[in-house]
Amino acid sequence: MSEQSSKVRGGLRRMYANQVNLDLERLWRRSVVMSMVVLLIAGGAWIFRGLNLGIEFEGGTFWEAPLGDHSIAEVREALATVGQADARIQELGGGVVRVRAEVAPGNTAEVAAVSAALAELGGISPNDISFSAVGPSWGAEITSKARLALVVFFIVIAVYIWLRMEWKMAVSALVAVGHDILVTVGFYALFGFEVTPATVIAFLTILGYSLYDTLVVFDKIRGNDRTRKEPYFEIVTRSVNEVFMRSINTTITSVLPVLSLLIIGRFALGAVTLQEFSIALLVGLLAGTYSSLFVASPLVAWLHVWVTGERPGQRQPSRERRPAAAAPRPRRAGSGPVGRSGVTTTRSHPARPAKKRRK
Amino acid sequence: MIGRLLSAWRTVTRDSPNSLDALLATVQRLLSGLRSNRSLVGIVVIAVGLLVGNLVTNQQPLLGLDLQGGVEVVLRPVPGETEITPEALEQALEIVRNRVDALGVAEPDITVQGGNIVVQLPGVDDQERAIALVGQTAELRFRPLLARAVSRAEIEAYKAALEESEEVDAPDEAGEQGELGVADLLEGTLTGSVDDDADSVVILPGRPDANGQVFHFLLGPALVTGAALESATPVLEFAQWNVQVTALEGAEGIDRFNGAARTCYYEAPDPAVCPTGQLGIVLDGVVESAPVVNARAFERDRINITGAFGEAEARDLALVLDYGALPLVFEDPAESGLVRTVSATLGRDALQAGLIAGIVGLGLVALYMLAYYRLLGAAALGSLVVSGVLLWVILSFLSETRGLALTLAGVTGLIVAIGVSLDSNVVYFEHLKEDVLGGRTLRSSVDQAFPVAFRTIFWANLATLIGAGILWLLTIGSVRGFAAMLAIASILDLVATYFFLRPVVRGLARWSAHRPALVGMAAVVAAAAADPAIPAGERPATGRARS
Repeated sequence: MSEQSSKVRGGLRRMYANQVNLDLERLWRRSVVMSMVVLLIAGGAWIFRGLNLGIEFEGGTFWEAPLGDHSIAEVREALATVGQADARIQELGGGVVRVRAEVAPGNTAEVAAVSAALAELGGISPNDISFSAVGPSWGAEITSKARLALVVFFIVIAVYIWLRMEWKMAVSALVAVGHDILVTVGFYALFGFEVTPATVIAFLTILGYSLYDTLVVFDKIRGNDRTRKEPYFEIVTRSVNEVFMRSINTTITSVLPVLSLLIIGRFALGAVTLQEFSIALLVGLLAGTYSSLFVASPLVAWLHVWVTGERPGQRQPSRERRPAAAAPRPRRAGSGPVGRSGVTTTRSHPARPAKKRRK
Repeated sequence: MIGRLLSAWRTVTRDSPNSLDALLATVQRLLSGLRSNRSLVGIVVIAVGLLVGNLVTNQQPLLGLDLQGGVEVVLRPVPGETEITPEALEQALEIVRNRVDALGVAEPDITVQGGNIVVQLPGVDDQERAIALVGQTAELRFRPLLARAVSRAEIEAYKAALEESEEVDAPDEAGEQGELGVADLLEGTLTGSVDDDADSVVILPGRPDANGQVFHFLLGPALVTGAALESATPVLEFAQWNVQVTALEGAEGIDRFNGAARTCYYEAPDPAVCPTGQLGIVLDGVVESAPVVNARAFERDRINITGAFGEAEARDLALVLDYGALPLVFEDPAESGLVRTVSATLGRDALQAGLIAGIVGLGLVALYMLAYYRLLGAAALGSLVVSGVLLWVILSFLSETRGLALTLAGVTGLIVAIGVSLDSNVVYFEHLKEDVLGGRTLRSSVDQAFPVAFRTIFWANLATLIGAGILWLLTIGSVRGFAAMLAIASILDLVATYFFLRPVVRGLARWSAHRPALVGMAAVVAAAAADPAIPAGERPATGRARS
């Protein structure tokens, strides 16, 4: 027992010192199965359950009721009794309240139920309450433009990564981003959370975050690939181990505020939007970190193996772990070539011919 | 300066494998001339200065409709004028949305409610201008000028006389032509209406000139309408704001326009259609101007609408022309009392919950950073404060000038952005640890690790910026607002990292060179010292290193 706890402590200390050494080859084989299962569930939920689109996308019904002096919170409570807690409530002045809810105007029973609830709250006759259809505020044009923008976004980013790095990384990064979006959207479909414009923004935030996270890992792989003579697969596992703590820390710093939004939003009145918005962010942030380490990175390694035929098993004799330590000290600050990792500043071997672009 | 640039470029292109890297390295090299403590003082002074300026002018970010409410305009179509169909309402809604979007990045709420279009704008500064713009029909017509007079009575009398006789002297203002062959035009078309009917001869008022004088115009049926135009931009020419329009190509565009130009060319105007050689430009029933047509044919993109415009007027005119005419005629909302203020949809409690959650969350993040990275964590928090201040100033400025409004989603998005922006600090710190682990002293690690870490941060942020740019260019509505926020956050991240974090961490590393625990490096240094791969002479000289 105590031996185990000291082992854990030793592990934590090594993590703190950034000495992570995970057996990624084994982990990746498991993670790929897990990702596949999760993606299947997410995709299935999206296709078969569909998304619960909010009133902003689908329109609904609006009521205008002269309720007198009632706070928005009170109106929301009254609406909650007829299952419309997430209605959009607005005071129009003069004691008139406008309620917009996702109720089809043709659904007379539900429309009447909301009218009755409002009438009861205001102590007025349901006949004093007017209602009519309301169209979507997030129109088809916004959706179609956003869709076009996303397609262009993916193409340009793919070209950018291809130019900056290589095509295998472009493919892997896009797969990772797609993974995160699908997981988050699938999560929404599965649990039937309402999709509002805020949620769409959350999806976009995830997209940016996931891409950023993946690019940081890839930059590391590229840097190691340039300075180390090791099989590519080793380079990738080494890089992922090296950025592991950074990924954990970044995840913690991004997730803490979201978690606090989720918990405090849970207890705050009328913050339903806040809550569902933060769920999207939470799932997306976690998926984003996971995908850069366990989707994008193995994909790059495997694509490389597949394209070049260099198998992970065929390891060349591993080099001395830190050739740089014995090498002469680097030059004065700022005078050295920019872009070399500080760990291995000098090469004890001629530069390897570029093989990244081989197709 | 250029020589220095070139030599810097040459040095780095030799060292860097790819030209994009070379570009970044050039920038870094040039900036490295800036001493690091100066960049620190510089950014702190700039941030504080901007904050003071912000407090003095009392600018604040505007809150969105969901948090603060705003003003609501109900556009009620006038029955009888045009056929009111759901399609026409939908089309009008899109045009209104485009106009409101062009006003700024605020997030409006525009819906069809019942048979009306309801537009809600968050606390727009210039409400009247916004409302006027939202409801403006923007039907633009080019009509031949028949006559002009100071008083309406005079021009009506002239019109009446024309109907009776074919030979009437025009009022003095109408120009030199004593005889007009326009009577034919009037036959059957004169309905006595003063409305801006496209196919009739009409009397319309002009814009007040500099002296407040209003002319009245007798104008023939429209020769060209705004449908022939492709786009419009405001231009400043000789201290006078004009609107330059570009006609569409083809028969319905520039050909139609040039047809009108030929008819009205001042040296040989068609006396039956355009006796004065002047073409009146009419927008929503007001004659904006009546320029002399001085060419037989115009190039598609060389058409100017001149008038007594101020800058705002020219901009608004270009804007409504750009997005086309509304297919419906609406009641003037200001006159029919359909403008009112509306409350927030979420209200203060949600905002408060969001803010409290944000503060608690950021507090936890701060604790974590301090516990994990010690003084480096403090430096990261300092850089967060600097970029936070800059963000506040930028948001306030954009609220003031571009009508940007923060919705609840925007606020929470920013909180998340803060968490994410700490990432660039983490990337740097972990690079540092790695170098120390590799046997280097903390002091030399700082100088080596920063360029490497910054390169990573730069390229990752550039990808984000590209994405934000695409979203900004191609989308509308709240997606666009999101793109703006994303771009601002990315740029601030780079600025704060380079100008604040770099010098502060360098100073910290010097100061704590023999006390690695202060910067959370004790374990790393110990691990490096215990590593047999590093020869003893290379071990960092610290009191805590185990042997």
